[in-house]
Amino acid sequence: MYYISQPNLLQLLAQLKEDYQVFVPVKSGEQRYYKEYTDAAGDIVIGEVRPFEPLKAFFVRAREIVAEDFKSDIPARTSKPLAIVGVKACDLKGFKIQDFVFSDHDYQDPFYINNRQTNLIISADCTLAIKTCFCLALGLKPYPQEDFDLNLSPIETGFLVEVGSEKGQLIINKFYSLFENAGKDLINVKDEQRFRVIKEVENNIKAEDIPQQDEFTGMIERNYEAKLWEEEAKTCVECGACNTICPTCHCFLLYDQKHRKRSSRLRIWDSCMLKDFARVAGGANPRPKLWMRLRNRFEKKFDFFPKVARIYACTGCGRCIWACPAKIDIRRVLKKLTENV
Amino acid sequence: MYNPYRIIEAEVIEVIPETPTIKTLRLKPAEVIAFATGQFIELTVPGVGEAPFTPSSRPAVKDVLEVTIMRVGKVTEKIHQLNKGDIVGLRGPFGKGYPLEEFKGKAVLVVGGGCGFAPLRSLMYSFFEISADLEKLLFRGGCKNPSEFLYRKEIEGWAQRADLDLRLTVDQGDSTWKQNVGLVTTILDDLDMDTRNGIAIVCGPPIMMKFATIKLLDLGFSEENIYLSMEKNMSCGIGKCGHCRLGTYYACKDGPVFRYSKIKSFPGIWE
Repeated sequence: MYYISQPNLLQLLAQLKEDYQVFVPVKSGEQRYYKEYTDAAGDIVIGEVRPFEPLKAFFVRAREIVAEDFKSDIPARTSKPLAIVGVKACDLKGFKIQDFVFSDHDYQDPFYINNRQTNLIISADCTLAIKTCFCLALGLKPYPQEDFDLNLSPIETGFLVEVGSEKGQLIINKFYSLFENAGKDLINVKDEQRFRVIKEVENNIKAEDIPQQDEFTGMIERNYEAKLWEEEAKTCVECGACNTICPTCHCFLLYDQKHRKRSSRLRIWDSCMLKDFARVAGGANPRPKLWMRLRNRFEKKFDFFPKVARIYACTGCGRCIWACPAKIDIRRVLKKLTENV
Repeated sequence: MYNPYRIIEAEVIEVIPETPTIKTLRLKPAEVIAFATGQFIELTVPGVGEAPFTPSSRPAVKDVLEVTIMRVGKVTEKIHQLNKGDIVGLRGPFGKGYPLEEFKGKAVLVVGGGCGFAPLRSLMYSFFEISADLEKLLFRGGCKNPSEFLYRKEIEGWAQRADLDLRLTVDQGDSTWKQNVGLVTTILDDLDMDTRNGIAIVCGPPIMMKFATIKLLDLGFSEENIYLSMEKNMSCGIGKCGHCRLGTYYACKDGPVFRYSKIKSFPGIWE
């Protein structure tokens, strides 16, 4: 375990800029989001809680060109590899789903793999929970345990640094003078802080009476014909915010553009809540009603993914609760699904 | 690394009008696209979009492939406006073909409806090549009416084949129609084959596949031996974009042909 001071971390980020496009979490008012690191800006907040946008946004862009004309090459990327700083545990779990979809089974997606293979992930502990946090229910902790290169635990004047990969160790080795060995007292401070944040999330779970993931088994099949889908979908306005904001949602739409003589194929994020998502040629639609599409969303997360990848495609980040203008609350839906045994 | 989204240029070398709403395009791709019967390709109209089609031609012919397309939507509307010499794009082949090897030594019944004749024509060409290895081969085809009967002349010509037991029907006859009138399920009785060990392959509109499957189970076919072509919104072709999910499968990579036993437990398969 290492320690790095706040000024030294900023120096490290400045150094990393040589090889990477570095993104850091910043805070403006109550909003947290990622911003490209240029110089030591005062609005960087490494700890606290997950930012507004999901981590997937860096790896499968909301809109990107995947083919041009009839050329066989992969459209070139001009930017440096990505270094994302301050990634929280819930978003790291998002990688498990995105990696499964885009790189780990059957067919590989070269765009995603390019981004992932070259990336540097410097994650961070949550130092507080907001009301919508419920990661513990999905078997996570509010601090990263895997899938990072380096992890930062913010404490008073700096950060404890845990190495999670060979790539992370190489960073330490390369910039060794910026780091110190961490003493036992600092490690205790980190552990106490982690314990405190766990308590905060536990309190959220108690307050909302959120079920644990081991209660999820079979809940979708059991409730497939249940009334709850219609009840829950009543207020849905089909905006798709729950999909775009979700760190595990991966569906996309391929579409074509022609400009003068050049034609391009692009992919943009898609949403299974939109009416035409599964519509086939000739107009037949397997999910014509909104409640069927809401059910499909939950089926994908809590039935499909556990069956094909042995993982629930929810991280407990709570973004969809916050984003939904219709106040459809995933915690409430999970509660209804598990109550009906 | 291979780019699964890349588009292979192809020239339209012939446009064959089939019915008032259906045309067949003969396409010559810039590089060979070797498909197994039952696999599909994505056909791109540059700048407009792409849509999935199962080739209707002989898989053995490598340099040219045919797709038979009904005019039903935005992309197919544009496809119907294409002329000889126009350039389109192709991706694929995607999905799993029919397991022809597994059918050898067995009696095979092919049931087709309407547009389902397109992929089935390719399959029938493959069967004709190996018909000596099949115990027997039966084709039962149905269509709305004689004027919309895809490949009518060609399929009626199959009646001359010694290696095929053929029966056709239309929902509504006219003066040119001398054969059975009624749904395709009405020509499935009295099959001269061992249904318990035989293979049944069905391709057609979902409603037809549903009732054909019920009938086939009734006739003694086993769930494992009924092969269905599932029409889903297949887009990326590699199980990533999410549009064609069918239970725990994606039709584009795990299908589009499925044994009934594999998918019967999923809700809403006929919708």
